Parts: sequence; structure tokens; C-alpha cells
Amino acid sequence: MASIETLSQSADAQSLQVQSVLRKLAIAWTEFEARLETTPLIRKLNRGQLTIEEYQAFLLNLRQQVVEGACWISRAASNISEDYFELRSTLMQHAQTEHRDYQMLEADFVAAGGELQAIRSARKNIGSEALSAWMYQQASKPNPFSMIGAMWIIEGLGSQKARDWGKAALKQLDLPEEAARFLLYHGENDLEHMEEFQEMLTLMPLDEALIEDIVMCARVTGRLYALQLEEITNA
Amino acid sequence: MRPIQPVYISGTGAFLPGEPIPNDQMEAYIGLVHGRPSSVGRRVLRWNGIETRHYALDRDGLPNHSNAGLAAEAARQAADNAGADLFELEHLAAATTQGDLLVPGHAAQLHAELGCGPLEIASFQSVCGSALMSAKSGFQAVRTGEARQACASASELSSRWFRPEFFEGADLTGRKGNVVLEAEYLRWTLSDGGGAIWMTDAPKRDGISLRIDWIDIVSLAHQFDPCMWAGARMSDRHDLLRSWSFLGPQAAFQTGAIALQQDFTLLKSIIRAWVGVYLKKVDEGRIDPASIDHLLVHYSAKSLREEIIRLLEDTGGMIDEARWFNNLRTVGNTGSASIWIMLNALLNERPVKPGERLLAVVPESGRGLVGFMQMTAVGPDGE
Repeated sequence: MASIETLSQSADAQSLQVQSVLRKLAIAWTEFEARLETTPLIRKLNRGQLTIEEYQAFLLNLRQQVVEGACWISRAASNISEDYFELRSTLMQHAQTEHRDYQMLEADFVAAGGELQAIRSARKNIGSEALSAWMYQQASKPNPFSMIGAMWIIEGLGSQKARDWGKAALKQLDLPEEAARFLLYHGENDLEHMEEFQEMLTLMPLDEALIEDIVMCARVTGRLYALQLEEITNA
Repeated sequence: MRPIQPVYISGTGAFLPGEPIPNDQMEAYIGLVHGRPSSVGRRVLRWNGIETRHYALDRDGLPNHSNAGLAAEAARQAADNAGADLFELEHLAAATTQGDLLVPGHAAQLHAELGCGPLEIASFQSVCGSALMSAKSGFQAVRTGEARQACASASELSSRWFRPEFFEGADLTGRKGNVVLEAEYLRWTLSDGGGAIWMTDAPKRDGISLRIDWIDIVSLAHQFDPCMWAGARMSDRHDLLRSWSFLGPQAAFQTGAIALQQDFTLLKSIIRAWVGVYLKKVDEGRIDPASIDHLLVHYSAKSLREEIIRLLEDTGGMIDEARWFNNLRTVGNTGSASIWIMLNALLNERPVKPGERLLAVVPESGRGLVGFMQMTAVGPDGE
């Protein structure tokens, strides 16, 4: 039987590992966030130069990615073994809360003057294709714990960027709030972000190799997300 | 990295002009724009937590020091504190956000004020981070043996930029007839002062010297637009061909291109980027949070403190709060000068013992920059 001392040592070791992965993820996030600043679409948005056509294209392209979000989280959940039941359950809840988000984007698009049919029938751009393929590939692995890195990036967009982007777009294009509900809603709802990730990290068998995988998954996801934005102005 | 020649801070100096000015008297010094009290001042003060500051102006807004004069006072004090003779100085590096003249550089004005020399000078114009740029210049000069004694100053005379003449007649008016928050915010945040460090190739004969372990400066300007700037309208700040000199001084003033301004939305991303750079230094082992005995951070936003501390705790980057030292609440935010004014106060107010490690962190919102300086306290024997 493990002594109290060894139990507390292993708890310390686990908390150090959680800190380590959160630190590396925080670094990956800030590097991703700075890269976003340099994408032509976000540059124009931040400089107050976005056109209504570009805003519509932004929503139209986001929708093609967001519609897949709940699906890849569900696939990841379905590949989590029984040993990590609680983690599976957390992922299923995530998928549940997000699986209608794309409909909000469709409504925003229409409120911004777009045609419903256009946003529903649009293809993914090159970046969205790459991002989606990457997500499904990761989610299809047995016990795809590294997906938490991808979730970190996608959720970070919701908690740190979405609201400012939505407010900036409404202001410079003089649009009603109904045209940015997806962006505004996410900023409001993702504030418990960090605690949830800490919780999820304690549910998985963290070791050096897994930490490396998680961080790599975050970095690839961030790069492909930026590519998706770059492709909007490239079309 | 082991220094070629160890470099020691053997003296520090801080100069704060006049009496501490409480919040309710600020407008007697920086004046009333359009003859009306500011409607946002209180809000900004709650945000930055500053209670008193100093101005190099009298109650009528007339100047009683130049920027170079503030630097000179601090440099003389640093020399005295080091037990050094100004006339032995070989390298003088001066930092500021905006010097007294547009041309030539600030170090030339400071050198003229000090009256010693001839000597090597270096001018560093940036925002808060310029302090570490000038420190690095002096550090390198001593480290490589090019100078035995170097002085790095940092000084600001921000208050003159906040006088009504900088706003009245300029297109900086918001919806309710007030000065736009981007410009008004800094009026209620920045104030005047000078700071300096004296660097030598040997520790001083009595008392504590600080050996400089390293100075790292990281700019992220390749990714961010200007966040704190002067010389362009907010909407034009990314397009240098539309900056003030291309418009001509008169038109530039009228369009609101001359005032110092801050973009708050961008600031949030830049603050996260600073923390990211810090955490990367921790992750790479350059900074060991547990080994830091005294932390000096130049920050002015009291309200951001909690959020940052939470993030640092979650990521293993936290330095015990009892080890933080900051005097912005009472001396004001003096921009580049802050870090030396803080260091000077720390050495006067806390018993710093040989072997203890100090870390100075200097973030600059300008176009996204953060600098770090690690020091180890030593006695006269260098240990």
C-alpha cells in the first residue's frame, strides 16, 4: 500500500505536469494569437478597414469549420476507452453544447446581408480542408488525448478573440448585433476555460511524451486555423 | 552565458521632480482641456491604482526641468551612490520616449547637461523598454572591456504632452465632446521622473553591488501594429507614409496625429504576448521563478494583476508575491524611468543580501516588446 508520503509526492508530480502542459499551451496560444494579427483579414479588421463582403466571407468560411466541430469532438469521445470514462463524458458534453453553433453563424450571415443558400452550399477553403482533415485524423486515434491541444486553440479563440472581433466588425460596418451573435456569444460563454482544461488534464495519463503530443497538436491546429483565415482573402 | 568581464551595478539614482501630487490636484498641473475637468480621469485612476506622482511643471503648467535635466539629476546621484567620479565615465547611454529636441539624440543633451567628457554616447528612443536597451549598451561596453565605467539613464517628461495645447484644436474629440479615451488614458497614467544605473567592472568597495547576469529584450513588432504611439492618427498608424512628417506639422496636429495614444483592444493581446514570452523563458530554463528573491515589474494596471497572477500560478511561472516590489502607486508611472526608480527604492527599502537574485521585467506596449534583466547581489569581494 502506498504511504501518504508517496501519494502526496505523486500528486505533486501530477500538478507539476499539469502546470508544465498549461505553460507550454499558454506559450503556443500567445504565438498563435500573434500570428493571427498578421493574417490579412484580421489586420484589416483591427485597422478598421474590413468590407462587408469580407465580413460575409469570414462568416461563410467559419461556418464550414464550425459545422465539423461537434463531429470531431464526438469522434474523439467515441475513441476514449472505458478507463477514461469521465473524460469521455466531458467531451460528449462539449460536443452537445457546440453542435448547433453553425446555425448561429448562418443566421449572422443572413443578418449581414448574405443568402442562406450561399453559406450552406459553400465549400471549405484550403485551410479549412486541411484543418478538418487534421482534426478527424487526430480524433480517430485510440485514446486521442492530444486533442486537448486542438481544443485549447479553438476554445481560446472563443474566450479571447471572438468578442473583440465581433464588436470591431459591428462597429466598422455599422451592423446590428444579430449579425455577430456567434462571435459575441462565444466571448461571453468561454470564461471558465482554464479550470475546465485543468480538470480534463487531471483525467488523462500525462507523461512527457503525451505533453509533447498535446502541444504539437495545439501548434498544428493553430497553424491550420491561421491558414484558413489566410485563404479567405486569397479566394 | 558567462560574461567575458563581469559587470556590476555599483550605483543607482532616481529623481522625482517637486512634491508628490495627489489625484485631485493633477489637473492643476496638466491643465483643463477646453476648460473642463476630464470625465474619465477617475475611471483611469481606479484602473491603474496610482495615488501620487510628480510633475516637472509648476501649478501654472510652466516647466521647471528639461527631460535631459531629469536624466542628469539621476545620473549624478547614481555616480555619487557608486562612489564614482563623473569625469571617469566612458560610456553614457540615454533612454527616453520623447527627448527635448527632435534632433539630435537624447544622450547628446544629457551629456551636455552633465558637462563631463569627452566620452562615448548612445541614444535609445522607444517606450518603457528603452531603459533596458540603454542598460544593455552600457553592459556590453563594460563586458567587452571597451569601458570601465558606463552609465545608463532613462527619463521621461510626459506631462508637457498632456497640456491642453496638445489637444485643443486637434481632431481628438469623442462623441460627447471629450478627448478620446485613447489619448485621455495616458494623461491620467504617465508622469515625470529620471532614473539611472552606474555600471563598473568591479563591485564597489562597501555595500551591495548587483552583478548583471544577463539582459534579454524581445520585440514582437513583426506581428503587432503600434499599440502606444505618437505621430500618426489612430486609423493611419500602420501606414508610415501618412505619419506626421508627411502631413506637415500643422496638418498633423489638426488631424490628431501628434498626441500620445493607446489602443486598448490590441493591448489585451500584447499583454498575453508578454506573458507568453516570460513563460517561454521559464520553460527554456532561462528564468527559474523559484530562484528569484526580488522581482521588479513595471506594470501600471492594478486591475490586470489578478488575471496575470492566476495565469502564472496555473502555469508554474509564479514568483511568490511577497518577493514582488513595485512603487508605481506612490511615484507614478514614469515610463522608461520606472524600472530604475523602482530598483533604487528597492535597494533603499529592503535589505538585499549577497547571493540574492533580482529580476527586472520591463514590458512595453509600443509595438509589443518585453525585456528582462537578471542580477545577483554581491558584496565588495564580488561574492
